[in-house]
Amino acid sequence: MSLSILIVDDEPHIRLLLQQTLEELEDEGVELLIADNGEAAIAIIKQQKPDLIFLDVMMPKMNGFDVCNAVKNELGLSDVFVIMLTAKGQEFDKQQGEKVGANLYMTKPFDPDEVLEKSLEILGMS
Amino acid sequence: MKIKLKQILRFPEIASIIDEILKLNSGSISIFDHEGNCLLGDLQALHTETYPILLHNQSIGWVEGDKEAATVASLLTYLVNREWERKTLAHETLERYKEINLLYRISEKLSAVLDHKSLALLILQEAMQAIRATGGFVINCHQDDEQNQQCEMIVVAGECSQLSYPLSEKISEAIFDFLQPEIINNLAYDFRLAFMASQISALLFSPLKHQNRIIGFIVLFSTKPVSYNASDLKLLTAIASQAANAIENIRFHEYRLQEERIKSNLERYMSPQLVQAVINSKDENLLKNCRKNLVILFADIRDFTTKCEELPPEKIVEYLNIYFEEMVNVIFEHGGTVNKFVGDMIVCMFGAPASLTNCEQRAIEAAIGMQNRLQHIPNHWIRDNFHTGIGISSGEVVVGNIGSPHHVDYTAIGDQVNVASRLQSLAKGRQILVGRSIYNATQNDFSFKEVGIVKLKGKKNKIEVFEVLY
Repeated sequence: MSLSILIVDDEPHIRLLLQQTLEELEDEGVELLIADNGEAAIAIIKQQKPDLIFLDVMMPKMNGFDVCNAVKNELGLSDVFVIMLTAKGQEFDKQQGEKVGANLYMTKPFDPDEVLEKSLEILGMS
Repeated sequence: MKIKLKQILRFPEIASIIDEILKLNSGSISIFDHEGNCLLGDLQALHTETYPILLHNQSIGWVEGDKEAATVASLLTYLVNREWERKTLAHETLERYKEINLLYRISEKLSAVLDHKSLALLILQEAMQAIRATGGFVINCHQDDEQNQQCEMIVVAGECSQLSYPLSEKISEAIFDFLQPEIINNLAYDFRLAFMASQISALLFSPLKHQNRIIGFIVLFSTKPVSYNASDLKLLTAIASQAANAIENIRFHEYRLQEERIKSNLERYMSPQLVQAVINSKDENLLKNCRKNLVILFADIRDFTTKCEELPPEKIVEYLNIYFEEMVNVIFEHGGTVNKFVGDMIVCMFGAPASLTNCEQRAIEAAIGMQNRLQHIPNHWIRDNFHTGIGISSGEVVVGNIGSPHHVDYTAIGDQVNVASRLQSLAKGRQILVGRSIYNATQNDFSFKEVGIVKLKGKKNKIEVFEVLY
């Protein structure tokens, strides 16, 4: 089964930038999945079981912590690597992130080189 | 930029539109990518017509089927072109996003660097990575004493070292007249830089400017064929502007350190106010040796050697330090410069390094102040035993840094120095003796008593001596 990455963010420009950053991986056959809210993300996760999720924290309906908690603790997908994305200036609640089992967090504006490098590493492609 | 039909067909909305079209016409179609892989529909179905899906008039796949296949092919052609536009925009946006990140990262790192070389290297590495350069260097420019521009290499990176001669110097010479950032994509056609066309394919550079003054250059080049564009140059210019500010900051920091060092050296000789006046002075020759009219003051404790025998040496040192501190404060208060301490003797001057008005008056006021202060030192042993004789004279002397390279004193040399010393040795405890020049300048301001005429050791001329009454 091919590898896949899920991008979850309510802001269209962040989705677009992440997608473009990971274009190189797409050319290598990695499938890029997109969701613009937490609930849509859960639906995709259940169906496709992505290998890596970029997850925005502040989203309407269901926030990033709830999505992460669902992935790691309720859906039994603890081996999915979750990277939380948080806007610069917002204090990322590390404790809550740790509690729900997030693997890593990055601040926005994110560094595209770092995102690509980290993704390659996590998917074992570097 | 690659657009894959497969990816477009994956959008659920598109799949459902195609489905609707097929339902309306109850026909069947098959969609193939440019390699002939069937992406949708029946591979085995026999279709009569083939309609290409075009991106910029090039086929990236086709639709087979009946008449509805033409509609689907048109729709997909439209969507593929829209997707290409979207991706182009996303690509461009990401590039700008990377630039912002780069500048952000640089400014964050810059604040931690405190020397030119590491700063230049940091800037160069970041710029090379962002602008696809295989090598680069940073030059520092400054004007020498004769107003000629001098350039020196601060740092090189990448392929500089592999080139056959000190290329960087040659480039520096060639670009020095450029005042603006520039791209030279084909060196062979540029007469100034054609000589290195066999080694370098393209080059771009930006001056490092601070307050409209060129303080250096950052130069990037590629030995591989590459075509630098306006946005590369814009990015380099932005990096250069950050670098220039950071370099100036470092220079300013170094200048301040040097100023602090000079200041703390000077403060041993004169009052902090006078030090500031010297630092603020635009006269660079202030501390150089020169002839000057000065007032020289010598102060010495009478019978000090005998007093020393009464107390342990540690106690004498302690009391001497109290005495010197009080006396130096008085001298500073009146604008004097302490020249040196010789044993228990204080030598000071008025009128150097910074010129002063009323030096003679200041010197006498200082001398009276010293005698009075001595009477009020809160230590009865000092009050009872330290009795100072003071001698003051004035005239032209040579003043400046005098000594060996290992030990230099800011001091005065000349006849009047000897006269002041001689007057001091004649003065009894609490007495202030001055020469004719001082008397002439201050006779209306102070009371004097004529003491007489004295012959100086080793001198033909005799000197007239006056005592200041206070």
